[in-house]
Amino acid sequence: MALEEHSKEQPAAGSFFMLPSFVLSLIEQVLNQALKLDPSLLDKLKTVEHQRLLVEVRDWQQKIAITYANQQLHLYTAFEHADADCMISANIDTLLALKNPAMLTQLIRQDKLDLQGDLNIAQHYSSAFSSVEIDWPEQLAKHIGDAPAQQLYLHLQSLKQQGKKAKSQLDNTFISVFQDELAITIHPLELEQFKQQNRALKGHVAAIEQRINALIKAL
Amino acid sequence: MNENPEKTTHFGYKTVAETEKASMVADVFHSVATKYDVMNDLMSFGIHRLWKRQTIASSGIRKGHHVLDLAGGTGDLTAKFSQLVGDTGQVVLGDINSSMLKVGREKLHNLGLVGNIDYVQMNAEALPFPDNSFDLITIAFGLRNVTDQNKALRSMYRILKPGGRLLILEFSKPEQELLSKAYDFYSFNILPTMGKLVANDSESYQYLAESIRMHPDQETLKAMMVEAGFEQATYQNLTGGIVALHRGFKY
Repeated sequence: MALEEHSKEQPAAGSFFMLPSFVLSLIEQVLNQALKLDPSLLDKLKTVEHQRLLVEVRDWQQKIAITYANQQLHLYTAFEHADADCMISANIDTLLALKNPAMLTQLIRQDKLDLQGDLNIAQHYSSAFSSVEIDWPEQLAKHIGDAPAQQLYLHLQSLKQQGKKAKSQLDNTFISVFQDELAITIHPLELEQFKQQNRALKGHVAAIEQRINALIKAL
Repeated sequence: MNENPEKTTHFGYKTVAETEKASMVADVFHSVATKYDVMNDLMSFGIHRLWKRQTIASSGIRKGHHVLDLAGGTGDLTAKFSQLVGDTGQVVLGDINSSMLKVGREKLHNLGLVGNIDYVQMNAEALPFPDNSFDLITIAFGLRNVTDQNKALRSMYRILKPGGRLLILEFSKPEQELLSKAYDFYSFNILPTMGKLVANDSESYQYLAESIRMHPDQETLKAMMVEAGFEQATYQNLTGGIVALHRGFKY
């Protein structure tokens, strides 16, 4: 079933610079590069070939038509009379959360995401791109050879691990700084004790004062 | 008695006999065919790719559709349409110029696009197809070179299926006066020089600039489409009206 969607004309400024088209063409190139680097994606997307997914990014006020055909993804601005087999509409944060396909139904229940048409199409795209696995050593080896590629990959992995560890330590430090109860003021019991001692001292001073006054009078 | 023996049309700023225009335009494109793509990128700073993307975005093309890419030249639109219509669809790359078709066919073959593309040399004024044959007809940067544009529009209307749409991507009239002046300077000074340097052919690019100025503006072309029978005729200005994308439907 194809959904008929009517939208407004693009504003003049958008037409002049054609930024949405330009940005989409860049995204299309990146995604198609990912398809080349992880050929398993081709099989995953095969079931949605020629099915059109319309994605409305609410906070960007943009509609994007996505079609997988001829082993390539085709992304176009969908601004008028765009028909689609499945349409999802959400803010960009919600769309990014779709990296986890299990979130799809949860986000619909939370009214953060509208979906019309065939749910399977959205699920297929979501699960395909959530499981992208690029064999970087193999891709690097095409350019610099097997051994250097493996070494470089291991170094990068090690750097990544160290980075993760450093980040984790930094996070823990910040958490302890912001969350832990630090002794920047005295405890209420200490204050109470101080007050009692103060009162006792005051009593003693008053008593001494009286005795001194009495002695002065006696002289 | 022979009617209108002196019937004339424009070829850029020149006035020529109607019978001569097609062959004069053909000479221009025979001359530029091999450098056509590189010149397009240079002259438009690559923006012609975005104009064409917008055309595809407006096409509503789906699997199984039959598409005619008229004056398709080196096949930029055909390449995308061929992928989007799939093996059950069909794309006809039509051009009046055999040199352009040859370059287009070679380019598309090199891209591995075979099987659902036909290459047909044709005159837009007398399209060699039965009535109601296509779901979509596009003509990108070609209509201004056609001698009798009204006749061509009627011919396109005839072969379009009911529910089908025509998209005309063509140079048009800039909306802002300042942009118009800058564009004129670029077209008549820089563009022919660029043509001379890269393609060793300044005359063809002088013709390009002149033919753009002689082409009907947005509203006139829209009225011509309505007169030819198209319904819901609208247009969208791209890059400030330097180019306009006209759209019309047949019901």
